[in-house]
Amino acid sequence: MKKSYIIMTFLLGLTIVLSVGRAVLSNTLSTSGIFVSKAEQEINSYKTQNVILSEKLLTASSLTNIIEKAKASGFTDEKALMVIKTSGPLAVRP
Amino acid sequence: MKWRYPFVFTILVLLFVLIIGRLYYWQIVKAEMLSELARSQYKGFIKVIPKRGEIKTSDGFPIVTNKVSYLLYVNPAEVKNKDQTIQLLSSLLDLTKASISAQLLPDKFWVPIKSGIDAKKKEEIGGMQIPGVGFEEHFTRFYPEASVAAHLVGFVGKNEAGEDKGYVGIEGFYDRLLRGKEGYSIELKDALGRPIISERTSMTGGSDGDSLFLGLDRSIQFLIEQRLKDGVERYGALGGMIGIMNPQTGDIIAMASSPTFAPQKYWEYDESLYKNPFITNTYEPGSTLKPIIMAGALDAGLITPQTKCNICVGPVTISGYDLHTWDDKYYKDTNMIEVIQHSDNIGMVFVAQKLGVDRMISYLTKFGIGELTGIDLQGETAASLKPRSAWYAVDLATTGFGQGISVTPIELLSAFSTFANGGKLMQPRVVTAFENSNGEVFKMPTKVKGIPISEKTAKVMTEILANAVEKGEAKWAKLKGYRVAGKTGTASIPVKGHYDPNSTIASFIGFAPVDNPKFVMLVILEKPTTSIYAADTAAPMFFDIARDLLSYYGIPPSE
Repeated sequence: MKKSYIIMTFLLGLTIVLSVGRAVLSNTLSTSGIFVSKAEQEINSYKTQNVILSEKLLTASSLTNIIEKAKASGFTDEKALMVIKTSGPLAVRP
Repeated sequence: MKWRYPFVFTILVLLFVLIIGRLYYWQIVKAEMLSELARSQYKGFIKVIPKRGEIKTSDGFPIVTNKVSYLLYVNPAEVKNKDQTIQLLSSLLDLTKASISAQLLPDKFWVPIKSGIDAKKKEEIGGMQIPGVGFEEHFTRFYPEASVAAHLVGFVGKNEAGEDKGYVGIEGFYDRLLRGKEGYSIELKDALGRPIISERTSMTGGSDGDSLFLGLDRSIQFLIEQRLKDGVERYGALGGMIGIMNPQTGDIIAMASSPTFAPQKYWEYDESLYKNPFITNTYEPGSTLKPIIMAGALDAGLITPQTKCNICVGPVTISGYDLHTWDDKYYKDTNMIEVIQHSDNIGMVFVAQKLGVDRMISYLTKFGIGELTGIDLQGETAASLKPRSAWYAVDLATTGFGQGISVTPIELLSAFSTFANGGKLMQPRVVTAFENSNGEVFKMPTKVKGIPISEKTAKVMTEILANAVEKGEAKWAKLKGYRVAGKTGTASIPVKGHYDPNSTIASFIGFAPVDNPKFVMLVILEKPTTSIYAADTAAPMFFDIARDLLSYYGIPPSE
């Protein structure tokens, strides 16, 4: 009789604790939406910044830009090809 | 007083019935509508626009990507000083005051003023905190290399619904793949409209567009665009085209046409410039078709390189038409190697007659002439071959030297590549792989379209073409130390049933190095004015580019 009384009390207590816990958690979560919203805005702003930076990076590394800068710095096309041929080993020479 | 009790009771019953009726109305009849209304108050659908896929060259550089741009809008109801706002926006956005003023009607809440504003400008205007002025973020196409490969990549415009849509080239052909799929996420809100974190669902039903990897070499593409621009100016041509292909895989290494357009400002150009002439324009190829015809006759065993032409002593007359050589020089008992070397029209009439109409049609078809190559670009066209019944003796003869038949440059480049690939005809392709939004990469397989000639014939033809470069009319422009196989083509332009005597399409097609071809290239100049001959115009352009390519690939001279 005493044992079942303890179990009943424990279960009742557990139910109350869990109910209160749920209520507290729900309340906390219901207001944390504001922070999530702010965090999302911040993430989106970083994403935008990343895209803007990648745009700058691609523009800077484009051949169009590099060639313009090379020309401005005085570089010119080298038309003449120079090939250095290695001579064959002595053993195969006639 | 007895009536009071029944009266009150009746009133109460009536009120009760009224309440029950009203409850029935709201909870049964209007239940669905109210549920929907409630859902719309606490549930928010967030539309997720997919990011369009990138287009990357063989070195992984995104030749087409996305950038952030902004739309500036005004809420007229929130504007405090209308005149001052108009004045400010006019000077900042380079718009007329009248155009802004006309839009700021007091009954409107959202008026778009200007789109395509970059981040720097947005920061500048946003920093002023002008009342009633706001921005909307958008993604638009960005071309780090500006208009390089414009005809190949195409552009992104709008469809009837105002949504982004790819037109022509890769953007048009792979629009569905690049576009991605629109998705949405659901968000529950509290009474004050704040999101409830535990009830948020992740994005469903959508994905960003796939990115495409091309066989295009950015450096070579840049190089040929410069060379083409210089060549068109130097030779006073109306326009020109260059296409370079890997003969073993069919990959397009570079492709350029002039005049061109800028995809980032496509609306500023005439619509006729949007199409890629390398895959859409048909022309009579002239002498550049001769190797295809001769290869057919060699493969069929009808001639050998040493076969002597017994009609090459002078002009020939077929069905009342006099046929001449391009320089009116005639070589008695010339062999097939010399026919290609001298680009002898009469020699090719001899070959065509040996081949006959049926075998001519058969070999042209095997080489893919008269059919679409199947290149993965939007807008490809092809001129079908004439039906068998419409071939007359003179048609057979003129087709032998590339007149009276029309091809697109891509058809010719693809067919000619067969010599550099052991007789195998590859399907030309631009995209070699694609990457989905999860980062998985899928390679596109290469495709052999057919084997029009044997490996032996391909080798023989290669040697004949190498001889043509060594000793032909363009020998002055050839590269020292390298073996190149190629052929000039000075094609007449048909105008109202006759050929224009003053203008030509000058071209040169070839590959290098002969022993292990790294590239096949076709150079075309439309109506050059400094000289009508390909040997003086297209050939030097070809060798100029070929020298740079061989150097770029690190191939040393063989001789």
